[in-house]
Amino acid sequence: MMRCIKRAIHKGIYTRIWACFVIMVWIFTVAEIVEGEQKGKMNPEISLPAEAAGWTWDGKEMRYSSKTLFEYMNGAAELYLAYGFQGLTVRKYEKSSQPTITVELYEMASSEDAYGLFSFERQDEAVGIGRGSEFGGGLLRFWKGKYFVGIYADGGGVEAESAILTMGKATADLIQEMGPEPELVDLIPGKDLGLVDRSIRYLKSHILLNQRFFIAHRNILNLSRRTEAVLAQYTREKQKTHLLLIRYPSVKEATDAYQSFLGAYLPDAGGKELLKTEDQKWTMARQRSEVVVVVFGAPTAADAEALVKATEEKLRRGRHQENKE
Amino acid sequence: MEEKIITRRDFLGVAARTAVAATLGAGIMGEAKAEPTARVVLIRNAEVVGSDGKVRGEILQSMLDEAVRSLLETKDSPEAWQALIKSSDIVGIKTNSWNRMPTPKELEAAIKRRVLDVGVAEKNVDIDDRGVLQNQVFLKATALINVRPLRTHHWSGVGTCLKNYIMFVPDPSSYHDEGCSPLGKIWTYPIVKGKTRLNILCALTPQFYGRGASFFDTRYVWPYKGLIVGTDPVAVDAIGAHLLEAKRIAFFGEDRALDVPPIHIVAADKTYHVGISDLNRIQLIKLGWADELLI
Repeated sequence: MMRCIKRAIHKGIYTRIWACFVIMVWIFTVAEIVEGEQKGKMNPEISLPAEAAGWTWDGKEMRYSSKTLFEYMNGAAELYLAYGFQGLTVRKYEKSSQPTITVELYEMASSEDAYGLFSFERQDEAVGIGRGSEFGGGLLRFWKGKYFVGIYADGGGVEAESAILTMGKATADLIQEMGPEPELVDLIPGKDLGLVDRSIRYLKSHILLNQRFFIAHRNILNLSRRTEAVLAQYTREKQKTHLLLIRYPSVKEATDAYQSFLGAYLPDAGGKELLKTEDQKWTMARQRSEVVVVVFGAPTAADAEALVKATEEKLRRGRHQENKE
Repeated sequence: MEEKIITRRDFLGVAARTAVAATLGAGIMGEAKAEPTARVVLIRNAEVVGSDGKVRGEILQSMLDEAVRSLLETKDSPEAWQALIKSSDIVGIKTNSWNRMPTPKELEAAIKRRVLDVGVAEKNVDIDDRGVLQNQVFLKATALINVRPLRTHHWSGVGTCLKNYIMFVPDPSSYHDEGCSPLGKIWTYPIVKGKTRLNILCALTPQFYGRGASFFDTRYVWPYKGLIVGTDPVAVDAIGAHLLEAKRIAFFGEDRALDVPPIHIVAADKTYHVGISDLNRIQLIKLGWADELLI
């Protein structure tokens, strides 16, 4: 009897020990997987490769919020904040005898913001990565979905530049969402009027507008995060003309901004929308519902009028399309 | 009285620089006839940066010493350093640690070496950038030495000595409006006012053009191999901005516009009276290597 009892106790202990062992193995296994996933993640939504073109991630990951971005940017953070910055993750990749490659992944509030950030600095040739890209001076920039990505090496070299592109493609492939461009960009006239593609900027503040095209030191067009603006350059026969298209949340806000602009920029136009300015070129402004269109530096009044009319036509078609839908 | 709004039209049809000066209430052209009131040294050495990009510390040290000696017109460099710093001073060396183009460690070391040579206790010298407001040496400093690389900057047009003191305020972004024109105001605050003994723009590999906030592009960096040194930060910055402008014209065939014109330099002069911005009133002493000097 006693033997049976002892055997039963032993059996129970062995069962419990075995059960504990199985549970511990499961816990450690799961923990390892979780830890591995976390290491591989730039962000809860995106995983990045740990290796590309022979460059290996150094295992460290730096993350910045809107409060700490200034530490990384040395004064440039405001550009990103203006475009609805949500978070930045930075990783570095190393390869023996080669420069370190840095990958910066910016999560923005929307794909329109990611496009805007990309457009603000665009100047180089596209390289077919993500939704829009450019590569020049050792720096790859692209956007896809609500993400903007910058990849660069600490030094030059053919191998490093090739690796930057490989890493860019691998990163873009991991972002599933494509994300739309801002609708407003589709409303500017095209190449038939001399549009310079790479000059298109999608802007969310008057400070950023002034950095690309100075208009006034005060915010005379009432730009804010609630407004959208597109700035584009048109070149014909070496003459540069700029088009600014702004959409306001309401007709009233557009009217207020239009009147503010006429008063501050064209006070000598006598309330008219067209004026030859000090550079002997033409400035023209017009309001259509919640949109304000301004042309700067047109060689002739007819050129200014043509650009405004072409924009109005695209606006009209855009509205017609919206109504049909 | 209603404030005049400065618009693009104020810059059309006239030279931008004249317009900016007029906007800020200066009679620059009239003052150009006055005697020079600022002195700046530009010193270069073809060997200070190797083909591998490495800085040769011993050459940089001799360049710095010679620049300071020439600036203060002393018989030797120890005398010049003693004129700048006293052994009783508490010295903060305000550097710049931006990861793409920091102040070279060799230059920081060269400055610190000379401060120690003067007799300043090691505990009374420190080098810092973003931590100056928490750094006891900087908070108690009786003397500051301001050193940073010369480059273009997204918010201020150029990143130079005036801009380098933005970390002395708790709210740097408040100084970014209107092309950072309020930067000169920082120099009037007690934490720095009257303390800066020397301003050094490191022009070993300056960046002459940039576009937006990333503002580092290997195409627009060149081995100029120089230092720009002076006691007047505005004059040093004016020379630095002039050099970058000259390089842009040489490179692009025109002065391609920066994100913003560096109007904070003129504002530091005309609004905050920190120093001299008019190139015609700055005596530039050029020493050393003269190839492709540009200015």
